[in-house]
Amino acid sequence: MEDERAHILPEADSGTSENSRRNFLKQSTLLTAIALTPATAVKAAEAHVDEKIAGAFEKMPVKLEVNGINHSLSVEPRATLLDILREQLDLTGTKKGCDHGQCGACTVHVDGRRVNSCLTLGVMVNGKKITTIEGLAKGDELHPMQEAFIKHDGFQCGYCTPGQIMSAVACIREGHANSEMEIREYMSGNICRCGAYPNIVNAIQEVKEGGFKV
Amino acid sequence: MTNNQSTKGLSRIDGRLKVTGAARYSAEFAPAGMVYGVLVGSTITKGTIKSIDSKAAERAPGVLSVITHQNCPRIAGYQVEPGKKEPEKGTYKLFYNNKILFNGQPIAIVIADTFERALYAASLVKAQYNAAEHNTRLIDQKHEAFAPEGDGTSKRGEADAWKTAPFKLEQEYIIPSEVHSPMELHAIIAKWDAADRLTVWTKTQGVQDTRDGIASIFKLPRENIQVNSKFVGGAFGSALQVWPHEVAAIVAAKLVKRPVKLVLGRADMFTSVGYRPHTWQKIGIGATADGKLVGITHEAIGQTSAYEDFNEGPIGVSRATYACANVNTLYKLSALDIGSPTWMRGPGEATGAFALESALDELSYQLNIDPVELRIINHADTDPESGKPFSSKYLKEAYKLGADAIGWSDRKTKPGATAQNGWLVGYGMGGGMFGAYRDKAAARVVMKDDGTLLIQTAVSDIGPGTGTMIVTIASEEMGLPAEKIKFDLGDSSLPLAPSQGGSGTTATVGSAVYQACTDLKENFQKLAGNGGTDKPDYAAILKRNNLQKLEVTSTTNGGPERDKYAMYAWSVHFVKVLVHPATGVVKIDKAVCVADCGHVVSPKTARSQLIGGAIGGIGMALMEEVVIDHRYGRLVNNNFADYHVPVNADIPQIEAIFVNKPDPYINPMGAKGMAEIALIGMAPAVANAVYNATGKRVRELPITPDKLLGKDGAMES
Amino acid sequence: MKPFQYTKAVTQQSAIEAIAKPGVKIIAGGTNLVDLMKRGVTAPDKLVDINNLPLKSISLDKAGQLHIGALALNSTVSESPLVLEQQPLLAMALKAGASPQLRNMATVGGNMMQRTRCAYFYDTTMPCNKRQPGSGCGALEGYNRMHAIFGTSNKCIAVHPSDMCVALAALGAEVTVSSRKGSRVIPFTDFHRLPGDHPEKDNTLADGELITGVVISNNKFAKNSYYLKIRDRQSYAFALVSVAAALEINNGTIKEARLAMGGVAHKPWRLYDAEKALAGKPANEESFNQAAQIAMQGAKGYQFNSFKLKLAPAAITEALKHAAGIA
Repeated sequence: MEDERAHILPEADSGTSENSRRNFLKQSTLLTAIALTPATAVKAAEAHVDEKIAGAFEKMPVKLEVNGINHSLSVEPRATLLDILREQLDLTGTKKGCDHGQCGACTVHVDGRRVNSCLTLGVMVNGKKITTIEGLAKGDELHPMQEAFIKHDGFQCGYCTPGQIMSAVACIREGHANSEMEIREYMSGNICRCGAYPNIVNAIQEVKEGGFKV
Repeated sequence: MTNNQSTKGLSRIDGRLKVTGAARYSAEFAPAGMVYGVLVGSTITKGTIKSIDSKAAERAPGVLSVITHQNCPRIAGYQVEPGKKEPEKGTYKLFYNNKILFNGQPIAIVIADTFERALYAASLVKAQYNAAEHNTRLIDQKHEAFAPEGDGTSKRGEADAWKTAPFKLEQEYIIPSEVHSPMELHAIIAKWDAADRLTVWTKTQGVQDTRDGIASIFKLPRENIQVNSKFVGGAFGSALQVWPHEVAAIVAAKLVKRPVKLVLGRADMFTSVGYRPHTWQKIGIGATADGKLVGITHEAIGQTSAYEDFNEGPIGVSRATYACANVNTLYKLSALDIGSPTWMRGPGEATGAFALESALDELSYQLNIDPVELRIINHADTDPESGKPFSSKYLKEAYKLGADAIGWSDRKTKPGATAQNGWLVGYGMGGGMFGAYRDKAAARVVMKDDGTLLIQTAVSDIGPGTGTMIVTIASEEMGLPAEKIKFDLGDSSLPLAPSQGGSGTTATVGSAVYQACTDLKENFQKLAGNGGTDKPDYAAILKRNNLQKLEVTSTTNGGPERDKYAMYAWSVHFVKVLVHPATGVVKIDKAVCVADCGHVVSPKTARSQLIGGAIGGIGMALMEEVVIDHRYGRLVNNNFADYHVPVNADIPQIEAIFVNKPDPYINPMGAKGMAEIALIGMAPAVANAVYNATGKRVRELPITPDKLLGKDGAMES
Repeated sequence: MKPFQYTKAVTQQSAIEAIAKPGVKIIAGGTNLVDLMKRGVTAPDKLVDINNLPLKSISLDKAGQLHIGALALNSTVSESPLVLEQQPLLAMALKAGASPQLRNMATVGGNMMQRTRCAYFYDTTMPCNKRQPGSGCGALEGYNRMHAIFGTSNKCIAVHPSDMCVALAALGAEVTVSSRKGSRVIPFTDFHRLPGDHPEKDNTLADGELITGVVISNNKFAKNSYYLKIRDRQSYAFALVSVAAALEINNGTIKEARLAMGGVAHKPWRLYDAEKALAGKPANEESFNQAAQIAMQGAKGYQFNSFKLKLAPAAITEALKHAAGIA
């Protein structure tokens, strides 16, 4: 949700980032909301200390449970969940295809719900459970959807595949895999440029009809 | 049943890696000390850079460097030899001077310790320009078009003979510019191992061509460059050359003395890695009352950039597809202030086929001859251009297979004659053809004493399932189960392989692997002595001879068969569409794609490839179009929300059929490539089906709802 | 993206206090805001995350009014048995929007607050009065295929991209908002505004106001309503035009009709005259065609979007036929 007032704000390039950061830190009413900025950083900002410390206070502590493993991280508020997974946790199975919520390659489950991780700020999922493609198989045993994608050749280049599979699992869990038409509609948030769509639908139907636990 | 069809054949050998997220693509490596580069694009279309202010960016937290044309070190391969003049045209040179040649051209790279910081700092780089008048509009520039180097014109028989025919038409056909849009963003990680030694992980369709390209730009010995690209997230032609962003990352890594990762944004993918050129075409075609073609005249003007000529020859299809004594063609380029186009799936032929196959459909209505029948009447039994026999051609069989599968007999000739639940029903078909090539390649095969076989070549797999095809060939040839075979690819140090493109990989690299396996088997038979069998126990023979392994590297190339025969692969696409008469919405109800591409080596992946190409063709037909605001020379739909590619809801089950008869001459497998023909001919098939449904002939793609509403509002049903 | 500070509000009061300061933006689903921040279209100094506020419920009161919290997810609302039973038009519209993943993130309040998808608004190098007042309108004489045909001004011809809002406008919903000054109710059709001389203002929300929910009053449209969306592909695309049609039909006669369009104006475009014309008429194609013609009065096409002048009435008739069950 957006607030109307922002339109009278200057454009992004006005003023240096350090100055505006210091200004808003001073202005912010820390009492009315939980400020997650570390206290030391606030002190640093007020003291007008140099950039090296400024770098530190841009980051905030975030706890994520990713595929059952707890991570305590320090992230900038502007870092997306997608970039945190790929660049900080080396979980590169989640893909960046557009970075704007227009392709679905970055689909992960947050507390069991499929979302676009490219539009999810890491700080917003603090304390939540994230499942990525790397967390779907149980050891060497593939998830039935992964097996079905291999069997039905639900991919070619493989780049959209993790997102497709995370979406496909959610599609069944949500109860949206009751017909070919419904699957096609509920898988339309995941673009596959190689054109594996019919095979993806077949894979999902097999898992659904096979009564596998997804 | 579709489900059974889709599961026949060897599953992808890299499937497990791809479904678990373990497959690593170019941006997914992390050499120690790696930092991030982000490009800054020009905001004008033509002119010069007056000044660049990068101070704010340089001061931003985490920024290591900002490189522009003002401080970029000399790139050896860009320099003009002393005494020589700067050539007027040529590959775009990054950070070379202050000239702006297209909107979005990289004018700077910002390198910072994190992606977020690099991205933000890039937004702080501000340039001042001296803008010059630009032109990005093909249609306005038609009169300025010029003949490309090579074959701008051609004539067989009489020119313009179609005009003498009793049944004839002349029409213009336009395709917009389309972008490859692979799901993986182009990305590179560049790491200098020494002052003159470089390793890159980059998205490429050919690691060795990329190696050689980098070697020539940086004047390095090619053995000093290691290029890795084991997984490629689609490319469709967009990764066949070394692009400026790759040069930027390599230069940046050198300057900051750290490995640099650079991933293009999706918007950059629309301006920086090529596209299918916007092309205007005109076809004059005439036939006798019994449908025999009298003549074809095919003109085309394709878009290229102001600095480089790109020639994809869309007129070739009119010379090579049908038996017609009189064909003349004219092809020109129009230089626009846009980045250069490049090969995109079915290059040239996909564009040309839209015009030719649409025109034939129009002619079929004039003649009142079934479109399939019209094509059979004009079937070329020998190559119309050279007169040579075809190495193999089963196109007539393909027509029959496809027509039966789609239910062609349900098609009514009269447009708009069939309705189904308030939707108009239409059937259409279109054909495709593409040269079947075979180049030089090498493969190393290593049999180990544990009974496993390792195959190595430097080929890339951009998605078709190259590894699966290779393993299938080796498995059959060696008599080994697929699980015992490992395949190593996408590494420039491996044996010679050309770039994956032009549907040539199976014929080229597959042949080398076949030969290497044959040679290895022969060596084993020699080792085994008289007791040799066709399926020897390799491990046992090695052990008997006290050997840990036996390896062979074989090199193969196309031979004299190419001089004797004309070699092509063929496709025919059949489509049933539903068109909503009031709103102009088009749905693909059913599609059947038939390929005559010789023996199908890897049925499961080939089927997917045929379907995938057809879906690319559906995108081309119904929704894909790059839109430029010509006032600014800037794209207004450089994203996946505005540039539409098909989504799952657009695509029904598509039936893929292979004639599957081996070609006796092209290579030992009898296989021809099929990546291009999977797409070529699909767009006209859809357009022809839309006409059959509505009586509206759309000659400018894509066929969006507005084009079917026409001048008088809703179409008549 | 410019660096910014991030806080999470724990109570509605703290959220309201936080947004009373300049440079602060609320974030809920973030599907549009994060995108705009990535593109530099907007660059807040501080984000206040309101996802912990208790504004997620969907309930029916004794008067039959449906209350939907501002933070209810688009997917939750579209699947809610209450919504499906009471206001199926809303569920249909929601399902026509975005993708399943985005609907799992986007909230009802956020959906109302989403900005236009106009290319000139998104590209910070192009002129746009909405993004930068006074810079001009790039679309007016530019590529305006997706743009408005109703209620435009010479400052802006952008359209509001929401599907959900079209249904809520048709259903005559109300928006509840809170600020330091207290709470107030805004009729949904007054929430979004026409561009006029101030296209930078999308809506009538005052500074410091927080959307808390929407209310849909009891109606008899559940049986005969339909949301039709015409787009360039079958899913995951913005509307060329869309129509929310709701009818109350008694023995083949229309007692009351509600119609609104998307993709045609700066706000969900309610078709009052067409609604009036339908009242008392038989629920047949002829009545629908007449209503569609009335609905188009005052429409104006631009270079690339004149097709909407034909597409829109066709879509209205089609949607009404579906609503009436005669398609």
